[in-house]
Amino acid sequence: MHKVEFEQLDETLYHEKLDNGLEVFILPKKGFSKTFATFTTKYGSIDNHFVPRGEKEPIKVPDGIAHFLEHKMFEKEEGDIFQQFSKQGASANAFTSFTRTAYLFSATAQVNENVETLLDFVQEPYFTEETVEKEKGIIAQEITMYDDQPDWRLYFGIIENMFENHPVKIDIAGTVKSIQDITAEHLYTCYNTFYHPSNMVLFVVGAVDPEGMMKLVKDNQSRKTFEDAHEIERIYPDEPVETAIKERVLKMSVQKPKVFVGIKPEKMDMQGEEMLKHELAAELAFELLFGRTSDFYHHAYEKNWIDESYSFDYSLESGFGYAIIGSDTAEPKILAEEIKHTIANAVEKWPFGQADLDRMRRKKIGFFLRALNSPEYIANQFTRYTFNGMNLFDVVPVLEEIEVADLQQAFALVSAESQQSVFTIEPPDKKAAE
Amino acid sequence: MFETIRLAKGVNVHVNETTQFKTINISMKFKDKLSKEKAASRSILANVLQHSNEAYPSHTALRMVLDDLYGTSLYMDSSKRGNEHIVSLNVETVNDQYLSEAGVLEKVLNLMYLVLFKPNLEHGQFKESIFLRERNAVKERIESIFDDKTRYAQQRMMDLALPEHPASIPANGTIEAVEAISNEKLMEEYRTMIESNEVEIYAVGDVKPEAIADYIRDYFHFTDREKPLAAPSMELEKPAQQRVAEFEDMKQGKLHMAFFSPVTFRDEKFPVMQLFNGVFGGYAHSKLFVNIREKESMAYYVSSSYSSQFGLMFVLAGIDGKLEEKAVGLILQQLEEIKAGNISDVEFGQTKALLTNQLTEALDSARGQIDIYDQYMELDEAFEPNYLISRWNNVTKEDIAQAAKDLSLEMTYFLSGKESEINA
Repeated sequence: MHKVEFEQLDETLYHEKLDNGLEVFILPKKGFSKTFATFTTKYGSIDNHFVPRGEKEPIKVPDGIAHFLEHKMFEKEEGDIFQQFSKQGASANAFTSFTRTAYLFSATAQVNENVETLLDFVQEPYFTEETVEKEKGIIAQEITMYDDQPDWRLYFGIIENMFENHPVKIDIAGTVKSIQDITAEHLYTCYNTFYHPSNMVLFVVGAVDPEGMMKLVKDNQSRKTFEDAHEIERIYPDEPVETAIKERVLKMSVQKPKVFVGIKPEKMDMQGEEMLKHELAAELAFELLFGRTSDFYHHAYEKNWIDESYSFDYSLESGFGYAIIGSDTAEPKILAEEIKHTIANAVEKWPFGQADLDRMRRKKIGFFLRALNSPEYIANQFTRYTFNGMNLFDVVPVLEEIEVADLQQAFALVSAESQQSVFTIEPPDKKAAE
Repeated sequence: MFETIRLAKGVNVHVNETTQFKTINISMKFKDKLSKEKAASRSILANVLQHSNEAYPSHTALRMVLDDLYGTSLYMDSSKRGNEHIVSLNVETVNDQYLSEAGVLEKVLNLMYLVLFKPNLEHGQFKESIFLRERNAVKERIESIFDDKTRYAQQRMMDLALPEHPASIPANGTIEAVEAISNEKLMEEYRTMIESNEVEIYAVGDVKPEAIADYIRDYFHFTDREKPLAAPSMELEKPAQQRVAEFEDMKQGKLHMAFFSPVTFRDEKFPVMQLFNGVFGGYAHSKLFVNIREKESMAYYVSSSYSSQFGLMFVLAGIDGKLEEKAVGLILQQLEEIKAGNISDVEFGQTKALLTNQLTEALDSARGQIDIYDQYMELDEAFEPNYLISRWNNVTKEDIAQAAKDLSLEMTYFLSGKESEINA
């Protein structure tokens, strides 16, 4: 077991890669009562085209299957795993994102039992036609719930605008129609391909004894037999640099319009150090340009073009990424134009210097340190970083090395007009009184 | 958990000196009685005070100072509890020891002083442009509830079931109340808040209680204040209607049910209600979840919640627009099960375990500690988790069955799609 001490952060990370390929990380946190554990596979909604384990030809699976599988994982022949966790005083949950599926629990007692349950239930798949059929009603309600949420529709709307081919544009849960095609056999195929320990990460953080926990995990894994690890062949389509749709409008039951401007990065295949530096530099750049101390924010807020719902974000994964800026607003067209102008002006003349960078760097370092109070943040982010060849604990050192030129360079990749798109949600046209 | 030091009559500091977190959290809570007017004016006040002040007279200037202090978070919010309205000034800053700089905490405390005691004034009132913009911001915040149909449905039900009652008064007030607030009224409310409100100050982190108390005593000049007189009654009155259905452009149906209970936060039986809520619909092992979501596949979310300040119990479910009757039937059936005492040892044990877990975990965050302690302080000044845990362990299945029998269903509210949207 490797042990790395981060003195500046007062944290110690324990790590081992097991024989079956599983990466195990343990981070004890002094003074905490709870233990939080995540067991995550590098498999998400974008992995809809792949060569199944043991086969030669690629297949395509119905939309929403990774999420469907996540739901079904909790149902076993003996009963519902939520019940088991509850008996052991643990609060369990799971989530599916574009790139990964995570199973997790938090508990203040019976931690060893709960970790065993976590490992066991994810490693013992059980899918039948009957249980699959039953879940369709539940997930249909989940999808319908999200369909009614304007902020969710806004987010997916801008993503659909930006991407021509890439499966990130497919809703993570699929559609009510697409999930009807899912069978137990599909679930087993996906499971066998993506849920091998060599494609997974276990992260345990909080009140935990590292040596004891590592031994427990190793014993648990060595009691089981696994197939050999294999390289998973994932197939992604070519994606043009330009956005697919420049502008689109959706009518929904909202009290005022919402608008998002999205920008697609020119380079979306970064990993490791390159990705970490670019991501941090781009986030700093966008924060300076669109954050609460920016001229844009000041101007837009005074003019009432943005309100408290205003947000901006930059997300990057392997194969796709996007910057999104927007707000609820009575003036969606004006706001979109202002955002685009701000970007264009910054491209023409980069407005920020050393003092700005230093201030924003301190802010970002502070955010990171504050976030380390949260076991959930640590486990989730560390897993995401690992899947992208990065280490979460490199964030501060890399931030400290970033220079103004890095900001410009990162921003340059996420600013061309042809990479921009606008998605608006509007209230329905005024109808005659019923 | 917290050491309490009295600064003045009606002004207390509570400090939890701990090395558990990398931050220092400070929360200053101003408590007044709840009304639509106060909720509106104090929400605008929170926005105005956090915007800028005499030393940093623009939003940008204040935010830049905070960014420089390693992204220190400083914001004000308004909330309500029972018949109280609470305005909080909240700060979270990284502990010096992790930074290459000292004296951050003092700078942050000074900023808090400026925010509260040196507002951005012009001719004896708040700067007019800021006042107008922030009044509008609060109005926009209230209007945006319509976009979140679950929140909107809950507010509609409360407005119909308990109009003019503290339970239905929103923490930000109403649009009418907000529009009626003038700059003069806001100044009056500001003075009342600083000079007459009950003030509870919390600090969590690697700080000495005496040091915090001394600093605040020396710089903040809080004066003695009397406990406010009669707060609005929280007595529940039966709603005029038992069932209401409303329609908007949407796909899913939002079912909301309101029950009255004779047990409130201050009653001896309060822990019984917490257990009842857990068994009924509070967890993934609860009767509502297991029967309506898992067995019937009728819902993605179906849960219950207990609003202890008022003695209200809610059930919320997102279901197909045509299944209201079936869902209500199933929900009431689960309640009958509990009344009949059909609670297994497993359900009972799981609920106690998860309640205990939830409480213990909540104390693993500074904000969690502050919120819980502030809530339970009125029951027991020396609140510790075991106060509740030992009470939960003494609750019996008969107690829970009785709690269920003492509930009365007062209103069912259903928000669903317009007829024309059925094919959407």
